[in-house]
Amino acid sequence: MTHIFRNSTVELLFGNTGFTYSGYDEVTNANADADEYVWFYTVPMHANTRETAEEIASYIDRFKLVHSQVPATKPFYAFTLFNLFDFRTELIDFSVVHAINEFNSSLIQFAKEASNVKIIDFAAFCRLYPESELLDWKFYFISQTALNPKLALPFRKWFAAQKQATVKVAKKCLVLDLDNTLWGGILGEDGPEHLKIGGDYPGKAFLLFQRQILELQKNGIILAICSKNNEQDVLDFFETSRDQVLKKEHFAAWRINWLDKATNIRELAQELNIGLDSMVFLDDQPAERELVKNFIPEITVPEFPAAPYQLPVFLKTLRDEYFCVYQAREEDRGKTEQYKQNAQRHQLQQQFTDIDDFIKSLEIETTIRMNDEADFPRIAQMSQKTNQFNLTGKRYTDLEIKEIASRHGMIFSLSVKDKFGDSGLTGAAVITAIGNDAHIDNLFLSCRILGRKIEKTFMEQIICSLREENFENVTACFNKMPKNQSVAGFYGSVGFSKTSENETGKTYVYSLKKG
Amino acid sequence: MNRSQQLLQIFREVLETNDIDETVSQANCEAWDSIHHLNLILAIESGFNISLEPEEMERMQDFATALKIVEGK
Repeated sequence: MTHIFRNSTVELLFGNTGFTYSGYDEVTNANADADEYVWFYTVPMHANTRETAEEIASYIDRFKLVHSQVPATKPFYAFTLFNLFDFRTELIDFSVVHAINEFNSSLIQFAKEASNVKIIDFAAFCRLYPESELLDWKFYFISQTALNPKLALPFRKWFAAQKQATVKVAKKCLVLDLDNTLWGGILGEDGPEHLKIGGDYPGKAFLLFQRQILELQKNGIILAICSKNNEQDVLDFFETSRDQVLKKEHFAAWRINWLDKATNIRELAQELNIGLDSMVFLDDQPAERELVKNFIPEITVPEFPAAPYQLPVFLKTLRDEYFCVYQAREEDRGKTEQYKQNAQRHQLQQQFTDIDDFIKSLEIETTIRMNDEADFPRIAQMSQKTNQFNLTGKRYTDLEIKEIASRHGMIFSLSVKDKFGDSGLTGAAVITAIGNDAHIDNLFLSCRILGRKIEKTFMEQIICSLREENFENVTACFNKMPKNQSVAGFYGSVGFSKTSENETGKTYVYSLKKG
Repeated sequence: MNRSQQLLQIFREVLETNDIDETVSQANCEAWDSIHHLNLILAIESGFNISLEPEEMERMQDFATALKIVEGK
């Protein structure tokens, strides 16, 4: 059940089943049984702009009052304000615009501190329609609807997608062809000086395309190259070109050779240690796309635009569909760096014959924190993304984690750094308390830090903390998932005793009693 | 399908019941509340590709009147 706080008739937009509604402008009597809440106020329709601005100015306090009445553990979706009908007589009268901006910034600021508040950018929906369609005065006068009820279906779809985006798992890696994809022309045939990048159209279009891709990279999307070219030619071009935006350092890995692209992409996935299903492949050649699609059904291969001037819209669609996240975390921003460091570690590993010597040489430092709320969003995000080292496959939102912690649960986070760099928060355990026993609801580690025996250290420290909390036993289970077969024996290897086993998984217990 | 049948179909879909016929009215149908009334108007407007005037919407309190209004368009 969703409870909606509103100042206009919105029943036709959201529908009947599954929703309860506040009175217009009502700020008390929040439905305490609702699973989630929505704040959807629209700009009031006054003829006088000062009156409108003044009323809008009162909304943020109203919003805070409403928010204070609902449980902080339940999702609260807050719509930004958008002016559906511009009433001003003086062109330089920006009072309503300012009031709306003020409200929206306060709302965004508030959401940064209140983790259950998720912003829904209503303007993004409204921009899809002209003013004449956004508001239907007939229905406004008859029943006080603000947004035109005829837009109910697209609105419902859009809202569902926005909600999904607040928890959605985005793709991780963009694999790029080069010739006629990142620039116009063919490096090996036309020569580096004739490639179309920068300058006039079409070079201009490719330039913007590369800049947009660089923005994705800065927000945590890993870039890789898969191109039929001479590797040295490409690296030289990256080095010498004045116009090229994407350079060698922006790519985490590449396969620039004459082998087939399916084989190359499989290798890239292995080198980066990510699933093929988290990759998106861009290539202007239909034949290459077809081949990759056929041999790697898991990968996403969108059609590529025929004309370079279509690239900005293409990239926007790409971002919305595959790479849109509600909010990027600090760790995301340095992702390419981390994946590159991993490749260096991989090389170092090949010099050592003994794995323990290798681990020692890395100078690993681990930090383990318990019930630190600042870690919860990242832990939730990890639980959504981690597939290989994931013992039960349970996934959480940050609110669910908060909820578990509030019921005497223990949330452990693991941060790792070594001499090559800081991997940040890369592991977590979610533990619930059942009487005198602690139960590991899930334990997961990012695949970026596997192969360094860090998981053992993590488990030892968790056991140690649980003993200090005076628990008697630790119970745990392993659930079979499509990709977690490699950790089927994990609990056994760290001293747990198996209590049952069937085709879906195993259960374990570890006694904390001394002797 | 004639207009009467088409209109009845709309009423059944919007009011989410097959248990109504041409005698349905706001007075004898509990589901026909103000929100459903608006939904009915939206569905009739798009179903018959017409635009209803606010006065007509207000008068439209039973099936027979609704049909008369639709047929008058």
